[in-house]
Amino acid sequence: MTRESLRPLLVVLLFSVCALTVPASAWVDPPDGWKGDLAPLSASDWNYQRAAHLIERAGFGATPEEISRLAAMTPERAVASLVDYEAIDASALKPFEESGIWDPGMDPFPPSRAEAVRRARAHGEGLGEKVLPPGTQRRLQPVVDKFFYSLTANNIETQRLGLWWANRMLVTPRPLEEKLTLFWHGHFATGQNKVRDYRMLFQQNRMLRANASGDLRALLVGILKDPGMLVYLDNGENIKSHPNENFGRELLELFTMGVGNYSERDVREAARAFTGWTNDVLAYKFDSAEHDFGNKTFLGRTGALNGDDIIDTILAQPVTGEFVAGKLYRYFVREDISSDVKAELGRSFRASGYQIKPLMRRMLLSKDFYSAPSVATQIKSPVHLVVSTYRKMGLRDVPTIPDFGRMTGGLGQTLFEPPNVAGWAGGRTWITPATLLQRGNLFRDVMFPDVKGFRPPDRAMSATDTRVGERLAQGMNITEATREGDAESNKMVDRDEDYNTRYGGYAGNLLAFKRTKQIPRQPASIDVTAMISGAHADTVDKVVDHLVHRFLSVPLADKDRAVLVSFLRDKLGSSTVRPSETLESSLRELLYLVLSTPEYQLG
Amino acid sequence: MYGLGLSAGLPFILNQTSAALAAQALQGTSIEKHPNRILVVIELSGGNDGLNTVVPFGDAEYYKARPKLGIPEREVIKVADGFGFHPSMVGFERLFKDGSLAVVHGCGYDHPSLSHFSSMGFWHTGVPNGGESLGWLGRVADETLDASQRNLIVNLGTSQSLAVRSRTHSPLVFDDPARFRRDGTDAEKQALAELSETRTTSNATLDFLASTAHNAAESSDFVRRASSAYRTPVDYGQGGGLAGNLQRVAALIAAEMPTRLYYVTYQGNNFDTHVQQADLHSRLLMYTADAVRGFIDDVKRLGRGDDVALMIFTEFGRRVEENGSLGTDHGTATPMFIVGKSVKGGFYGKAPSLTDLDDGNLKMTTDFRRVYATMTDEWLGCSQTPAILKGQFETFKVFA
Repeated sequence: MTRESLRPLLVVLLFSVCALTVPASAWVDPPDGWKGDLAPLSASDWNYQRAAHLIERAGFGATPEEISRLAAMTPERAVASLVDYEAIDASALKPFEESGIWDPGMDPFPPSRAEAVRRARAHGEGLGEKVLPPGTQRRLQPVVDKFFYSLTANNIETQRLGLWWANRMLVTPRPLEEKLTLFWHGHFATGQNKVRDYRMLFQQNRMLRANASGDLRALLVGILKDPGMLVYLDNGENIKSHPNENFGRELLELFTMGVGNYSERDVREAARAFTGWTNDVLAYKFDSAEHDFGNKTFLGRTGALNGDDIIDTILAQPVTGEFVAGKLYRYFVREDISSDVKAELGRSFRASGYQIKPLMRRMLLSKDFYSAPSVATQIKSPVHLVVSTYRKMGLRDVPTIPDFGRMTGGLGQTLFEPPNVAGWAGGRTWITPATLLQRGNLFRDVMFPDVKGFRPPDRAMSATDTRVGERLAQGMNITEATREGDAESNKMVDRDEDYNTRYGGYAGNLLAFKRTKQIPRQPASIDVTAMISGAHADTVDKVVDHLVHRFLSVPLADKDRAVLVSFLRDKLGSSTVRPSETLESSLRELLYLVLSTPEYQLG
Repeated sequence: MYGLGLSAGLPFILNQTSAALAAQALQGTSIEKHPNRILVVIELSGGNDGLNTVVPFGDAEYYKARPKLGIPEREVIKVADGFGFHPSMVGFERLFKDGSLAVVHGCGYDHPSLSHFSSMGFWHTGVPNGGESLGWLGRVADETLDASQRNLIVNLGTSQSLAVRSRTHSPLVFDDPARFRRDGTDAEKQALAELSETRTTSNATLDFLASTAHNAAESSDFVRRASSAYRTPVDYGQGGGLAGNLQRVAALIAAEMPTRLYYVTYQGNNFDTHVQQADLHSRLLMYTADAVRGFIDDVKRLGRGDDVALMIFTEFGRRVEENGSLGTDHGTATPMFIVGKSVKGGFYGKAPSLTDLDDGNLKMTTDFRRVYATMTDEWLGCSQTPAILKGQFETFKVFA
């Protein structure tokens, strides 16, 4: 692929081509018989609309010229251009630049502030900081400050990591690679909230990407030996004398088989087999002293089973193929899967040795994928919504005003922060009356950014910390500056004279702001005027049709199209579009309306 | 009427409501025996450790099973013979002494699941080990409340809980009221109102989106104004999420929102305390007790104390024996709480045995649907309770 070098030329050439050849009204309904049919789509059924559907699901949408290019291929070639992505050079993608927030004294990181304090009391130092000499006020304060520094600094690095990934989704020449990585991130959900070490999340992200379309066994082994996952599911605590079932349970319930296909005893036996699977900071470690080498009976198999045996036994179950293939289907094709399709995809997935790539190829080529119940029936995830909008706008950088993480987080999805071990539930759960309004509002903020009023979340303190800072600046001492309210909870805070927790929170923030790279802030460079002039849209009707064509996956009802047409006509005072100082702003208002429709939520 | 109402500018909801309520009262729909009553449900997600919440300090087995995590008897807030609250639950102590807090022992269901998602689903639907797709509160609304009225169910949280999923009602779900609005100029808002009309197409997802957009447009102004105008002298404590959400409920009650069912979640899987449980659990319980105590005080201040009852649940308790990581693993039976001025405080049901266990887990003594039935039948007055809960469940006489 030489997409990058051709881009400037294509922008000019292809806009007009597609605008002329594919009017917005040219939606063709697929035949009823395609539903549930896994046979490949024939070349004669391939068109712009289906290419748009393909790149929407197997990637993050595309500009009209990119879609036209896919539409000009055969369906096999188009799907191959997404699935066989290793052949595409991605070396131009920028690496993540770490701030370097970690120093050796911080490993291994204590599970809580209380534990950090206990260790510091016992050893005279903690987290790389020395306890102050006896008789000093707040002797443990440096350790507590450092603890809170670590939390804040890791939060900021994780925000930066999320932005780095979002940029990768936006500009990658291998969109399916990122879409699959995002899928696996939700499947093998791991969150910074609990892990509190961005390095583990970054490492896991690379592991998921490297195995995203490989085989399931490698992926399972990768994730079960992944330090982030081991910490997230507390497997460091899974020891011979006290097996901790969390890891075994989630492996069976969420990663491979689904509830109802194993017994509670299987969970406990799996937990025993994974005893001693732990991590030494960023490396997997097998602690044989804590491993239970005894006999176990798991899913009917008995022996001195270890973790690898458990994985093999799970992979021998037909339900595993169906569970994982079914989840991929629900993510890429549609929510409801028929039992026939599930059985067939599961069977072929298992028969292939759990190769993900052929499964993806088959699903994305199937008539079922292009049938009416599959097309434009999926509610875009928040990350998909924002990234795909930027892609369709033709942006080459994720704007940072408004903040990407805040945008998607407000809609219920923060990268590296899934809600729980089950990942994001997706589908209709993305939508509430409040998030639906926000889904539109976000793009008003993108097109009319509040640069002056913007407060960067990577330099924001909580209300409590801000108050502490203000009071210290007024000359109060630490005790006075950190006093709050009169609820029972407050009366119990900071009785320990060795340190002040609230002050630690404040001081930790300051240090974290100093030691992390600040996210450069810039609004989007959007040019809607160029978009519509490239499409030769010189009337209000043509402008509306072009934006609908460019951004929506379903046609708009005549009544709703008329609302948009009359809105723009009123703004311009004419049915003809002429250059003027306010044209861009009027077009942006119109685009805000298009992006706020119920239709735009569908991908 | 109740002091802090925001009726100005919101007549459409209020007029409709009073008229509809009056009409239903005349028809004698059972729930309208008490047309002003409100049920607030709080979900403690993650599986709250019931044994360290309502501590059986009188039972030596408790200390045997919890050598490191057991709450020492001298620290327990003793409120009954052999039972007391975790020391951080000063707020519950106050409520209990006021006679406003009922503890129901040993709540659970047969063949318990130890999976968060399965078990929470069973509690949400009120159908353990079944495949019900609607929530129990959604079914309460379906059976007893007029579907033409909006906003009878409010769910404070980032996403809609299965508990409120209803066939005929569209619950209002929001997190931050300040952001619950449509931005833009008047012309943009006008156009968007027209673009948000409900649709009937062959695409069910699209119809769902349009209907949600329509509801959002109607309700957002009301909620936002009610919340931003609300001022209360009552201290709800520092418990971030829960305190804030309960204060939002109070704001809506003060603004005379017609809502009868409020559902409030504790964000995240907070109560899932596998590791280093003591400090975290203590903090969570303190936040919960402070926030609930604050909320009850606040609705009393609003003159609505007699109209509000609150029920607290979690998807399961923790295993009796502590684990090797100073935490506890997933368990089964666990206490529930009913709180309110109309509640006859005290202990209900029978505490599970700490020795007669099912594979290390407590055997439940109270089917949790008995507590649900108590709330729907005794509190809300639904004669359709057996249909809603798909069975007959004996209620507790908790309400005066």
